[in-house]
Amino acid sequence: MSTAMNFSTKSFTPRPPDKGAFPLDHFGECSAFKERFMECLHHSGYESAACRQSAMAYLECRMDRQLMANEPLEKLGFKDLINEKSEEKPEKL
Amino acid sequence: MEPVRNRRIRVTFNADTHASIQWNFRPQQSEIYVVPGETALAFYKAKNPTDKPIIGISTYNVVPFEAGQYFNKIQCFCFEEQRLNPQEEVDMPVFFYIDPEFAEDPKMAKVDLITLSYTFFEAKEGQKLPLPGYQ
Repeated sequence: MSTAMNFSTKSFTPRPPDKGAFPLDHFGECSAFKERFMECLHHSGYESAACRQSAMAYLECRMDRQLMANEPLEKLGFKDLINEKSEEKPEKL
Repeated sequence: MEPVRNRRIRVTFNADTHASIQWNFRPQQSEIYVVPGETALAFYKAKNPTDKPIIGISTYNVVPFEAGQYFNKIQCFCFEEQRLNPQEEVDMPVFFYIDPEFAEDPKMAKVDLITLSYTFFEAKEGQKLPLPGYQ
């Protein structure tokens, strides 16, 4: 922990997250989605943009299991991925 | 919010634990490349290697601190108590984005590396969470 003796500069004030804390995934219900995302990151040279589908899938997993408040994916920055999905042929359920 | 593709930023991750807490805590990726205006996901991992439940609470820091105002956490694991049972290990996600206005701030023009540090403390009754810089 640093002691910032910044008398003339603004000191950093940590802010709580916009939507609060994620509940812990105690039972690893979304671990597989996390693994897929991490694999994508490793293979893409840690490019976040390359792994947004996997990131979205992980968050969807959390929402499906009440490990995250339900929020439209468009509002989580995935609008372009949702639009892509709906332009494809309908998937088999 | 639109991604600002011509400003690629390297975000690196630190994990610290205060001496008071016996958790093993580490980032699951050392770095990730992002652009302002695009949401990003990253993970930490925490394990309680002891035989007693431990409740932790974390805070974070952003360096350079002028970039901190542009660092927006949509959701993470900080500021609320988190309980790990004996031998339990969990993934801890951070879902964030860098505000697109970062790209318009002349003071940020040379900033292409942002470091995010989380520190876990043991949450004890009556103990106040120390904020960075105020020891």
